[in-house]
Amino acid sequence: MKVETPLLVPVLAALPVCACMAILGLPAFGHANAVAFRTLYFSACLAWLIPLALLQRAMWRRAWRWPGMALALLAASYGMSILNALLGQRLAISLGLETGYRWNELLRGLDSCWLALIAFCAVHAVAVYYLSLQSMQLQLAQAQAAARDAQLRALRLQVNPHFLFNSLNAISALVSAEANREANRMLGCLSDFLRATLAHDGRHEHSLAEELALLDAYLDIEKARLGERLRLTMKAGPDVLGSVVPYLMLQPLVENAIRHGIAPLAAPGRLDILVERAGAHLLVTVQNDGRPPAHGGSGIGLANVRERLRHLYGDDQQVDAGWTAEGRFRVCIALPMRHLEVAAAAAAAA
Amino acid sequence: MSIRVVIVDDEPLARLAVKVRLARRDGFTLVGKFGDGDSASEGIAALKPDLAFIDVEMPGKTGLAVLAALAPAHRPMAILLTAHDCFAVQAFQLAALDYLLKPVDDERLDEALDRACQAFPYRGQGRPFPLPAPKARTFSVRVGSRTVLVPVADVERIEADGDYATLHAQGKTWLVRERLHNLATQLDPRRFHRVHRSSIVRLDLIAELRPLTNRDALLRLRDGSVLRASRTYMPALAEALQHLNRNPQEAT
Repeated sequence: MKVETPLLVPVLAALPVCACMAILGLPAFGHANAVAFRTLYFSACLAWLIPLALLQRAMWRRAWRWPGMALALLAASYGMSILNALLGQRLAISLGLETGYRWNELLRGLDSCWLALIAFCAVHAVAVYYLSLQSMQLQLAQAQAAARDAQLRALRLQVNPHFLFNSLNAISALVSAEANREANRMLGCLSDFLRATLAHDGRHEHSLAEELALLDAYLDIEKARLGERLRLTMKAGPDVLGSVVPYLMLQPLVENAIRHGIAPLAAPGRLDILVERAGAHLLVTVQNDGRPPAHGGSGIGLANVRERLRHLYGDDQQVDAGWTAEGRFRVCIALPMRHLEVAAAAAAAA
Repeated sequence: MSIRVVIVDDEPLARLAVKVRLARRDGFTLVGKFGDGDSASEGIAALKPDLAFIDVEMPGKTGLAVLAALAPAHRPMAILLTAHDCFAVQAFQLAALDYLLKPVDDERLDEALDRACQAFPYRGQGRPFPLPAPKARTFSVRVGSRTVLVPVADVERIEADGDYATLHAQGKTWLVRERLHNLATQLDPRRFHRVHRSSIVRLDLIAELRPLTNRDALLRLRDGSVLRASRTYMPALAEALQHLNRNPQEAT
């Protein structure tokens, strides 16, 4: 066990042991000699607690095994008890009760002192074990949270640069074609989107209103590229805009819908985004026109969204994707419905 | 009579961007360009221009400080330019005519210049300029070889698609070959409002307005459609909605 505990722990562990010894000594009150002996044993035990605690801590620091440590402590406290008994005989001689040391009686009557020292070691061990277990659990939880955070961050970063470079490429094409007005318009849209992503504070979740605004800024860029070839509806139910969704959850789905669904079509294509409430869940549906590809595979965008939702909500979420009977591609996401204020309160409480 | 304009920005290319676009329009004369707040203060006091494009963040004095230091009577109509987005409230407190985020697109700049043209005759009279009377009662839309007339009263919102605009009217959409900024001048500003570079909405259709952390807002209309309202339009939009609440009969 490598976790360091404060020096206050042995002091606190000594308190109950000292209290017990003091209480056991109470009946001796009034008998002058008995009080003297009790006081001697008590002070001696108290003094022995210091080297004993230091010894115990040193063994922990060197990561001794439990049996070895127990034997060493028993031996050490046994030695201390014998020295205590010796001190007791010395007191008896000086009080004139005895005339010399009785070596054969030295090993008798050790129980109270030895027991007190052993009790201290046990209380100390339990306290330190409990504290280090707690701090290890905390560290473990922090490490897990950090790993999850890093993973989510990495998944999120896959999203951004991809279309940033696509958009810059489109602007570059417009400049080459001397379509100044369109190039400028697109720069404006791209700046809007960047401003919106830069305003984000790094949380993994935000409100649906923020998400839809971000999506709208992104869609402006796509509208500038595709013009009337993109027919768009984006609708939300009356009670959902304040609910919590993962940051940039919709953008990769919509980017897929446009790039793989609508952009390859010769005719204008429809993209319909609908967010509504279904009991305790928020349902997000993205549907787009398109042609089923010759080869299967749902692309990196969808895999990314699945992974992030699994990280954030465990099993309380669902992503369905596939072609409908009308020949449209449809992604339907269900996630737990939580309101921003409630989520913030829960985070503050945790 | 031409509107006399100065441009204040510490970046030469930013000044060029405004100058080039200004040159495309009639009725504006560029009389001065300044690269920092201090020379702009002196220049504006000396030249007494009608309109000033002013960058907010500059070495020395900020654009807002330049404006604030001038007596209201001597203040030119101001169009603030900024890459930062947190000055809108201060800008409107200084009665700035408009507030543009960089990079500025042509559409948005044209709109700001239109505002300047509208406000110019009433400048210095200490009262807001009256809203221009709406010109159109119907929009004519070409569908194939025929022309359809869409009553303005039926229009719910208009979306820009580059040089085209999409009219949303009673569940249908119509593509009009006209820029949003031209259509905007034909609508009654008490009923319709520009909420974003690319959209105009009828005010009485707004069901929910939700502010966002970046000071934009998200609007949800009665049919469930959601669209963004840009922060540069928000103060005017809030005022128009308040006006609508006070005089609901105007919307009907």
